[in-house]
Amino acid sequence: MAQDPTGVTIFSYQVGFGDCFLLRFHYDGGDRHLLIDFGTTGIPEHEENDLMVRVAADIETKCGGMLAGVVATHRHADHISGFATKADKSGSGDIIARIDIGTVVQPWTEAPDAEKDSLGPEISSDVRSLAKRQASLQAMHDTAARVVEMLDTKALKHAPKEIKERLGFIGRDNVKNLSAVENLMRIGGSHVYAYHGSDAGLETALPGVTTRVLGPPTLRQTETIRKQRSRDPDEYWHFALKGLNADKKFSEAGEEIRLFPDHPAHPGGKLPMEVRWIAKRLTEGRSQQFLGLVSALDKQMNNTSLILLFEVGGKKLLFPGDAQIENWRFALSKPEIVALLADVDVYKVGHHGSLNATPRSMWAKFAKKGGKDSGDRLTTLLSTMPGKHGHAEDHTEVPRQSLLNDLKALSDLHSTHEMEPGKLYQEVTIAFA
Amino acid sequence: MNRLSNTRKLTILAQDPAVRFGGPEGPLAFARVEVPAEELGPGPTGYRVKVVDFDASSQLLYKDLIYTSDAPRPKGDPFEFAQEGAALEHRAFEDRLLANPNFHAQNVYAIVMRTLARFEFALGRRVAWSHGGHQLNVVPHAFAEANAFYSEQDHALFFGYFPGRSGKMVFTCLSHDVVAHETTHALLDGLRTRFTEASTPDQAAFHEAFADIVALLSIFSLPEIVGAALSDSAEPPNRDGEVPLIDAERVGLKALRGSVLTGLAKEVGSELLDGDEVHEARGAALRRSVEMEPNKDYLSMPDYQEEHHRGEVLVAAFMSAFLTLWDKRIRDLGTFGSKYNRDMVVEEGAKVADHLLTMAIRALDYCPPTDMDFGAYLASLLTADAELIPEDRKGYRRVMRETFESYGIDLPAIGCHVEEGTWCPFVEPADPPITYARTNFASMLTDRDEVFRFVWENRNALGISERVPIEVDSVRSSTRQGPDGFFVKETVVTYVQTLDMFAAECKVLLGFERPDGMSTKQRLEVFGGGVIVFDQYGRIKYHIVHSLTDKDRQLRRLEYLVDMGEIAPHRGLRDRFSALHMARAEG
Repeated sequence: MAQDPTGVTIFSYQVGFGDCFLLRFHYDGGDRHLLIDFGTTGIPEHEENDLMVRVAADIETKCGGMLAGVVATHRHADHISGFATKADKSGSGDIIARIDIGTVVQPWTEAPDAEKDSLGPEISSDVRSLAKRQASLQAMHDTAARVVEMLDTKALKHAPKEIKERLGFIGRDNVKNLSAVENLMRIGGSHVYAYHGSDAGLETALPGVTTRVLGPPTLRQTETIRKQRSRDPDEYWHFALKGLNADKKFSEAGEEIRLFPDHPAHPGGKLPMEVRWIAKRLTEGRSQQFLGLVSALDKQMNNTSLILLFEVGGKKLLFPGDAQIENWRFALSKPEIVALLADVDVYKVGHHGSLNATPRSMWAKFAKKGGKDSGDRLTTLLSTMPGKHGHAEDHTEVPRQSLLNDLKALSDLHSTHEMEPGKLYQEVTIAFA
Repeated sequence: MNRLSNTRKLTILAQDPAVRFGGPEGPLAFARVEVPAEELGPGPTGYRVKVVDFDASSQLLYKDLIYTSDAPRPKGDPFEFAQEGAALEHRAFEDRLLANPNFHAQNVYAIVMRTLARFEFALGRRVAWSHGGHQLNVVPHAFAEANAFYSEQDHALFFGYFPGRSGKMVFTCLSHDVVAHETTHALLDGLRTRFTEASTPDQAAFHEAFADIVALLSIFSLPEIVGAALSDSAEPPNRDGEVPLIDAERVGLKALRGSVLTGLAKEVGSELLDGDEVHEARGAALRRSVEMEPNKDYLSMPDYQEEHHRGEVLVAAFMSAFLTLWDKRIRDLGTFGSKYNRDMVVEEGAKVADHLLTMAIRALDYCPPTDMDFGAYLASLLTADAELIPEDRKGYRRVMRETFESYGIDLPAIGCHVEEGTWCPFVEPADPPITYARTNFASMLTDRDEVFRFVWENRNALGISERVPIEVDSVRSSTRQGPDGFFVKETVVTYVQTLDMFAAECKVLLGFERPDGMSTKQRLEVFGGGVIVFDQYGRIKYHIVHSLTDKDRQLRRLEYLVDMGEIAPHRGLRDRFSALHMARAEG
């Protein structure tokens, strides 16, 4: 049996707006590798289109064709698009598929129906948790797809440019990447669908590494900390989708489909002056409604994210994917977890540095924060690209400037957005005691 | 002599295209309703409402409805169905109307105006929209979506349309209850603009519940619709020369709840629901409300902390009181053997609905302007009624109070008269007394600055802190006629105080430890305020307060905001109402 590892090297790949981390655990008998996420929704301008293929090839080389595990924190494109394959086998996912992979870890929301009974009583006894949630995830994907399709139709033609950009970006990130999802189901010797408190299934492949699953909570766990309850949270997305399908039909239609075919109508454009104001407000408001819709589903999808804490060699490494506060809340309601997180050594900054993904109460308690000269200083890893998500005016820009300032001042920050152009990755090595 | 009429009658759908007299083969339930008469511009556009038939999905502007003076019917209802010899054409007539966007425009215009007129009648004055403008935009085919909402920032009501499961298009602008509901949001926002702010679960629930209550009672005050619900023949009610009879057992309390209220709620829902997939649609919510049996524990159950579900409790209590009162009045009617005259039963229902609707709206004048809760609404309802009808001979107030209490809605612990359940009349303190001398009574009827001067001058006597900014946000005079023919004149003033504080100051300023999950540096806005009601002599009659320093209320509010993640500034109004379903999705 292999002994405990002596250290870990973390490779943060330059994938633009996305996440891709390769963890190399150093064992006396040889290195073992764990890949956490592999996706992008926007590669840096100076990069070629084959970036993801080059990253995949580098991963294959670095791990020597063998990965102890693959973690796909959630199904957003910026975390899994790299797993997509191509018909001619030239996709980055085809390279990953060649690798000998041990365990694939995903959140419980990804479990196929057939695996339902293996999930333990927490989920399998609660039918709503799985079947409805999955149908709801599908409706969310379809809703996002519909919004993206509508960007070129009459309904959104006159929408403000910045809203259309945001709709396009968030929408595309939430469109189902079927090829990547299917590849993730195919690869790996075993599959684990994890939730708060469950086993991540990596212990055998990575001896000496304790992997705690802090999130996502199951619906039942979530309900225990909520004072209020929604009766049918999953119904909404089917409802939204139905509406959008109708909306798309009318906004694409020419003269052949009219709500009132026999009634004269003025075809948009320069409207009579007495109706211009309200018509403009309505059209703009419509695009904001769509933005509200895709933002809500984006948040829900983020909150299916795995939050993993690795404890190894006296160090703690925290990888929360894109989990936002609603996902974090269950874990942080437990004092023992709050205590456990206080001396984290490595923190992968949540959700590319957005405002809501690094809970303030947790950040405040990180004991190893400190100035440049402090010993045993917190290491932070950020994978992001400014100018893609959110706006500074409403403090929603990603990465959030105030968080970035804190990270720079109080931790040893390694961010992909500050890497030299052309560099494929940066690495950090943490030695264990 | 050529007198100008005050009202005009317009044809509308009594409920929606799903409601027919006497079953699916019967004629559509149309109604002709009275609205204030006015010279309408294209749209129609009137002095309070501007209908704009612009469709954002297809980017089309439908040709306006124009009421020309040389129209064939001088009274100006282009969609009136000529009665004589037209029965055979009924279906064709119905199809023509439903396919004509101009009829949809008339339908929304008439229901919005009727609802507005109902508020103005109840309050005895003009009622303003909250956006400050005079006309509310009403867009009957705003977008292809199963949604309809009020947007303050757009000065508008938007109604969507969507294909139902049968493939037939469903128009929310043709549902009476939807139009009345959304109009009520706009009117309530004009009367109590802070009720849309993040506050207690009750306040969040109140907007929805109140809009549902007004919508339901508006429908019940149309004899056509109640008649349709009680009718088991294929003929419309009121056929000439016959007294339509109905079995006594069909109008008992239980039967009324089952056949009429639930039946109506089902019909209200069926058009919008159009299948079983949209469980969260309003029809389903209404059905739940009317089927809820009394239970004092609803408001503390987790299921009823969410604002939409919580609102159902208030609707349930109100509609239950309505049924009890209606039943009581039916029992007082004469019988034909074991049968009642159905038209009289319907009329009594419409009377009760009408009285309760007036009461529901008048109560708003006695509601505190901030942090609304159901108990305060009950006290306001009882006060509004007692002011006009001091003797509760018909037992409206007793039934109201008992029914509300059976649903766990109790009167506020402070400020209420124990026996009457009304707000306590104002008692002038001895030291310092109220000073009336330095303000001008005539100005006090309309002028916010004059009233502010009065409030400032008397801040100590009224117990209002001078350290927290005070804003008199409305001064409204009302004249209401009581059943004795005499008028009750009041001037209703609301003021609000907004305390800007840090969470660390909770203990010192509000008297409790800051709630869990709130950092000491968290900036908070805490509200207090009150209603001062002046009588016809300009003396204070009521001072109804939600004090800044009410520990229990403030703690309840802050805990709720933490739980909802709404401590940060709240969303705009467009979001607030359009996000009705989204809030449920974030569960």
